[in-house]
This record gives sequence, C-alpha cells and structure tokens, in this order.
Amino acid sequence: MRRKVTFLVSSIILLACSSAMQSTRAQVKMPQLNYRERKLTNGLRVLSAIDPASPTVAIQVWYHVGSKDDPNKRSGFAHLFEHIMFKSTKNMKSEMMDRLTEDVGGFNNAFTADDETVYFEVVPSNYLETLLWAEADRLSGLNVDDANFKSERDVVKEEYRQSVLAPPYGRFEYLLQQKSFTAHPYQRPTIGSIEDLDAASLADVQAFHATFYRPDNATLVVVGDFDQKQLDAWVDKYFGPIAKPNAPLPRVQIKEPPRKAEMRFTEHGQNVPLPAVGLTYLTPPKADADAEPLRVAEVILSGGESSRLYHSLVYEQQVAQSAGATAELREDASLFVFTANVASGKKSEDAERALLAEIKKMQDSPVSKAELDKAISQIVTNQLRERETNSGKAFALGEAAVLLGDPNRVNTDLSKLQAVTAADVQRVMKKYFTDANRLVLYYLPEATATGSNGRSGQTTRGGQGR
Amino acid sequence: MKVNKTLQLFFLALTLLGMSAIVTAQTPQGTPPPPSAPHSVQFPKPVEKTLPNGLRVIVIERSSTPLVSATLLIKNGGEVDPPQLAGLTDMTAGLLTKGTQSRSATQIAEAIEALGGSLDSGARWDASTATVGVMSSKVDPAVAILADVVRHPTFKDEEVERLRQQNLDNLTVELGEPGTIARFVAARVVFGDSPYGHPLGGTPESIARIKRDDIANFHQVFYQPDNAVLVIGGDIKAADAFALAEKYFGDWQRPFRKSVAIEESLLDIAEVKPRVLVIDKPDAGQAAVMVVRKGINRKSPDYFRGIVANSVLNGYSGRLNFEIRIKRGLSYGAGSALDARRDIGPFVASAQTKNVSGAQVADLLIGEIGRLATAPLLDAELTPRKAVLVGGFARNLEQVNGLVGQVASLAVQGLPLDDINHYINNVQVITASDVQRFAGVFLNAKESSIIIVGNAKEFLPELQKQFKNVEVIPIAELDLNSASLRKKN
Repeated sequence: MRRKVTFLVSSIILLACSSAMQSTRAQVKMPQLNYRERKLTNGLRVLSAIDPASPTVAIQVWYHVGSKDDPNKRSGFAHLFEHIMFKSTKNMKSEMMDRLTEDVGGFNNAFTADDETVYFEVVPSNYLETLLWAEADRLSGLNVDDANFKSERDVVKEEYRQSVLAPPYGRFEYLLQQKSFTAHPYQRPTIGSIEDLDAASLADVQAFHATFYRPDNATLVVVGDFDQKQLDAWVDKYFGPIAKPNAPLPRVQIKEPPRKAEMRFTEHGQNVPLPAVGLTYLTPPKADADAEPLRVAEVILSGGESSRLYHSLVYEQQVAQSAGATAELREDASLFVFTANVASGKKSEDAERALLAEIKKMQDSPVSKAELDKAISQIVTNQLRERETNSGKAFALGEAAVLLGDPNRVNTDLSKLQAVTAADVQRVMKKYFTDANRLVLYYLPEATATGSNGRSGQTTRGGQGR
Repeated sequence: MKVNKTLQLFFLALTLLGMSAIVTAQTPQGTPPPPSAPHSVQFPKPVEKTLPNGLRVIVIERSSTPLVSATLLIKNGGEVDPPQLAGLTDMTAGLLTKGTQSRSATQIAEAIEALGGSLDSGARWDASTATVGVMSSKVDPAVAILADVVRHPTFKDEEVERLRQQNLDNLTVELGEPGTIARFVAARVVFGDSPYGHPLGGTPESIARIKRDDIANFHQVFYQPDNAVLVIGGDIKAADAFALAEKYFGDWQRPFRKSVAIEESLLDIAEVKPRVLVIDKPDAGQAAVMVVRKGINRKSPDYFRGIVANSVLNGYSGRLNFEIRIKRGLSYGAGSALDARRDIGPFVASAQTKNVSGAQVADLLIGEIGRLATAPLLDAELTPRKAVLVGGFARNLEQVNGLVGQVASLAVQGLPLDDINHYINNVQVITASDVQRFAGVFLNAKESSIIIVGNAKEFLPELQKQFKNVEVIPIAELDLNSASLRKKN
C-alpha cells in the first residue's frame, strides 16, 4: 500500500537537493536557488529568495519543535497546539489568519511532523507586510479562551477519527510507527490519542508556547515577488522587538537503541478489507551520509511501475494489491518502511516472503547502471516539479536549514545523490536490512482472529529469525 | 507566444478595509499594516491547430521550469459505459499502458521511468486521458510512448485479467471507507440508472462481466483522431510541439465510419426522487454525511453564478466549514462541490463526523444550503469568497500540470480556450443577487437527498425525528448496480 501520511504530516515530500548537474544522467540544468540568509540578534533566522515570475509570495515559519516534543502523557499535543495557533493571538482574533490570506485570494495551512511544525501562506505579493506582521504576532503570544480551545480540540479528535479510524489502513500505519520505536518519543504518532487529547488543557498551551515558540527556535522563509531591502526592514520592524527568552531550549535526549532481534506483531482490525504487512528497519538520522544511498534504494524499490516491488509483487507474482517502500527520514533516527496490501486469495506470509526476497536481491548483487540512472532521473524530475512554485522552493529551503542544519544543502544535495554508486546502494542494503534490525507487523481482519492459522490476537515479541 | 494578456484586475477589488473594522470592533487591538498596490499577473495564451486527420493540437508555452506535460484526451468517459458493463471506459484507458504492438507493460514502464518521467492513463466523466510528464530535454521519446499506448494497445488477455483482479481488490478497499461508499451511493441517488449513476471504475459485478473483446471494440470506436485532443504545455516552443504532434500522431488514420456523437444529452433524471438514505456500516470509525442533488452542466449560462455560490458554501472559511468545524468542532472539514459536466453534474455537500453527530451534521448541511437562498449575502462576505476562487485558479496555473489540465478541460467541454483569460472577470461580475437566485433555483434543499454511511444505531433515532421516510440499507445488502441500491432477495 502507498503510505499516505495523514494531512498533518502533509504530503510534501522534499527531496532536498539541486544545483548544477553534469554527467550524462540528465542534460537539464538545474536552476540554483539563490537565497539570502540573515540572523536577527534575537536568534531568528531569515531565508529569502526572489522570484518575480508570479505576483505572489510564499511565507513560511518553521518551528523546530515536533510531535517528539509532546509533553509527558500529552501525545498529539504539538499538533493540537499547531491548530491553536490559528486562534486568538496578541493582536488577532480567532481565524484572522484566514481573513489575511484566504479572503484576499491566498491560502494558509500548517503541518506538524515528528521534528518540526511549519506554518505557511501564499498571498498576492502586495500583502507581504501584512503577513509578516501576523506571523510575528502569533510568535509574540497567544490569547486563547477555553471555549476556543475545546472546540478546536474536538476538531483534532475528528481529524484522528478521519485519519486513523475511518480509512481501512489508518490504524495499521499508526501501529507501525508506534511499535517501531521502543524508547524514542517517535513512538507516539503525531496525531496522538483521544485520551491524551482529552487530558490537554489551556495551561499546557501557554507553557508550550513559552517553551518552544521563540525567535531562536524559528526560521522565517520568504520566496517570491518582493524587494529585498523592504523585506529586511519589515522583518526588523515586526520580528526584531520579540525578546529571546533566557531559558535553554529543551531537546529530546533519548536515543533509540539498536535493535537486537527481529520483532513480530500481529494486530487485528474491524474494517480490514485485505490483510496488510509492514516491515520496518531502523536507519540513521536524516543528516547522515547514508541517507542518500537509502533514498536511491527507495526509488529503485518503489518509484513507479518499473520499480522492483511493483514489478515483482504486484505485476509478476500478484501477491500484493499494492506494495511500496519509503525512507522515512527523521532527525534523530529514521525508518525504512515496506508495506504491502495482500492481494485477495493470497496470504500475509506470501507477501512478507516476497518483500524479503526483493531485499535479499539488492543485497546479493549490485543494481545495474541503467537502474541507477533511472532512479536519479526520477529524483531530478520530481525535484523540478516540487520547485515549480514559490511555495515549493520555500519548503526546500526550510527543510535544508531546519532539518539538515544547512540551507545551502538546497543547492548541494543533488550532486551527492548523483554520486551514489551501485556499490553504495548494496552496502547500505547489507548494513541496515538485517534480520535483527527488522520489525514485522501483520494487520489482519478481525474474523481471522479466531482462525486456525495458529496466530492469536496476541502480540509476540522476540526474535524468531527466519 | 507567451503571455498576451495582462490581468490588472487580479486582486484589485480585494482590500483589507473591511477587516480592520472587524478587528477594532473587538477589544482594542493592533491592526495589520494594509496592502501595497497590487502587482499584475499574466497567463500564457494557448495556440492550436487541427491535423488533417482531425486531431486537435493545443500548445501552451511556459518556459520558467524545464518541464513538459502532454495529455491526449478522448472526448468520452465513463458516461458511455454500457449499463451492464460499468467500468469499461476506465478499464480500457487503464490498459493502454499495459502493452502495445511493440512494447510489453514492463517495457513501457521502464521506458518512461528511464526518462525520469511519468505516464498515467484513466477515465473520468466526459473524457479518457493519457498523460506524460517529463523534463523538456526528454519530450520527444516521451511523446513517442504516449502515441504508442494510445494508438496501438494490444489488450492481451493476461493483462485484462491482471487489471480486473487489481480493480476488484481496489474496490474492496474503497468499499471499506465510509466517504467512498457515500460517493458511490450519491451517484445512484442523483442519477439513478442514467449514465453518471455508476461508479466510474465499475462495480464488483460489472467488472467481472467485461470481456477482452468489449475493450478492444470500445477502443476501436472511441479512440479516433477526430474524437481526440492533444494538449502539450510547458518548456517547449509551439512550432516544436506541433512538429512532435505531426511526427507521432500525423499518420493516425481517421476511420471511415462516422465519428461518434458526443454532444447529445444522455441524461434522463427527471424521475429521480429525493431520498433520505442510511447505509448501516456498524464498524465505521466515523460517519460520512452527504447532501446531494443535480446541479448544472458546464455550458450552462449559470456556470459562474454557480461556482461563486458554491464558493460561499465551500472552502475553509465557507459557510459549511464555518458552521460545522470552526464553530462547533464537529468535523475535520466540511465542504461542497458543484461538478459541472457535459451533461448536468451533481452538487454535493459533505462532511465526516463521529457517528453520534451524523444527524446533526446532516441538519447543518441542509440548513446552510437553504440559507444561501434566503438569508442576506453581504459584499463583505461575497468579495472574499470570489477572491478564493480567483486565487485558487491563478495558483493552479502556476504549475505546468495545472495549466495543461485547465486548458484540456476547456477543450473537452468544447469551450473557447481563451476562457482562462476571462475567468477572473467572469467571477468578479457575479453579484449577491446572482448567487441567491442561483441557490433558490438550483440548490433547493427540498429537492436534495441525504446520505449517511456509518454506524446507524448511533444516529438513526435522531435522524428519524427530522425525517419521516428514512431508508436503511445494511452494508451487506448494498447493491451499486441499480438505483434501488438494495440487493434483491
């Protein structure tokens, strides 16, 4: 199955990369993203890039806080808080952000992921100053009442139902993340749980804002049709006066320990049309040098109908209705995730065996030059598409700065990807895709819970190897 | 050939004056700085020519990103499916990429993906499409593949069976989702046994009935150059694009047979009566609530009145989401869509909510739709809702795919391509009384049906208090093949 992350983690897949391309792989000249970086004395980082192609401007504020920073027993809080940021602030009443964007032909939204929370707008460029004022205002302080808080919490509970309970595989994806981490707070899915959401209070909101919503934990990104001097003056005027707190910024210190033996789980659901199988492997953080070969492996395994998983599992063997692989890159520890929806008439075991066979093939022999070139071409084209708009360029800049620690990676990562060799891909496949580093989750229809296949609804832990 | 028209009125009418008044009316608060003078926007102008075989070729130049998108449209979609063979059009389009006289399915996928590109084919209402997207340096081989799959598919038995099985499995998954079930049911409720009434991809029963020969015949009848439009957009010169069209589609023979009539009305929905229908799915994690009725066709003189009326209801700050999500926290999102097709399409208002609030949300949807015709609509509300339409339209055209998609839609509906340069003005001239008149005539709630898919015992008693004739169909007895929607025992 396609891993469609819920809206809150957003579907923005940012292949951070770019820059001039040589080599025979693609003759296209990748446009450089010429950005400017500033830092205010209060610690706010400002990245800007001019592109006057359309009379719009994209404004984003990236806060380096995500669901891994949810307070104790408040899973889902960082995301709930993101919703609250659209309620009353120091100088704005509830939903005023919509008046300033939607009502003038622009739009706004936000997403919360494991490591970051991003607020973004696109507006006609003559509204740039207005939006800078508004973003500075909600960074300065919130002014939410209890009625607003509770009603928005109900919205988030409906979001939970819509993304986890209503879709046939919503709970499967939820469980897959929950079980894949044993110590790190990544084990709490971003959407959280109904009980923890119910426990959240207005006091938690104020504390969270004070702790994480500060200029030295924020990156402002502006891309589009504007004048640089004017932008700098407006940023100084609206963001400059916001004080930087003295308290240190708390950072997650917990490390996810290496896996020692295969973990296997079987879960049942009420509304499961076809069984699903998920495998996860623990891989290094997003900024690690092995991230590039893993991303190339992802495309070889899962990019399009000529990819190995589609061709083998869906097309040739017809053991899966759909199959995919995703390098879920995170700041502290990543997962490489395989999922398959089992085709009707086939068994979960068949799908698992087929997935493992494809992994083994990548370990046993290097991918061909043609396959490698194809993967790189796909990555390049995707990147071009993602950077067609001001908004897409701003996401690429924010991602490089906040999650990779260097905005210039927006222009240098593509050459790193192009330098990936077949031997690199084989090396990471052997290094990380071991039996001991594997988690297996079977997600089965309720009816088979009492079936005769020997599996109970019980969770079994421990390494049975293969 | 790029640009031509400067649309100065882009965001002209949109100022923030009204807003600062709202803010100061509350407790004294700071006010946002006002906007500066608006900047103008320019859309590229499509150019076109018709090849001797009747193929209409349209080109839109946009060189800002080195990408090209090319889409070949057949001017018929799921509406021409024979009643017993629902899904035939979709299956035919899906099989285009699964093997031609010179390439296997695997070779097609490898060829396009080696270019870094994508190739998709499928059917929708009113059209079947095949689309390639690639870097502009690879456009020639990509269009070669596009032409091959459209003109020379082989529909091998093995591929037909494979796709049939995949479609059946997909449908099994889709029928696990309350929102999807509600959409399928809504089509039957609005269109009965008429051509827009069935699921586009077919039902489990109809998919099983489709034979290889049905598919090959369908292709022979409908996939003809004079029943097709080729739209190429992006970083390519018009002359080069026309040359590519000649090279790969120029020798596509126009058949001797008379070409298929496509403009006639297929619809007969006068007899369809409003219903209040519950699909009982006890394991549903949420209830999907819909209010549906027939809307308008794309060429209707009321089209722009209609989309502006819909915009008052739809969108984040539209009335439906405001009442249901923002004010009451009853849903993650509520909205509506006026789907104007070659024939009359549906108007759908929808939201998902916890099962126990199903009846309340239905009541709110109905109430807001009704209020559109009766309660005052001030310019302070209407102007922003028009801005939403205009802004969304302009943003969509920023991307090559959006540009090609918009122009392709106009072509398929037989509308002037230059309409993309009149859209903004056509929206801006609509007045509040236009909207209210439209709502009174075309969105009358009394002629609407209500559909709720969810765990009935949690909302049925409440719903029955509001409506007398509630039909309840247990999910196991749901039959998407007929207007009754109930399996015959």
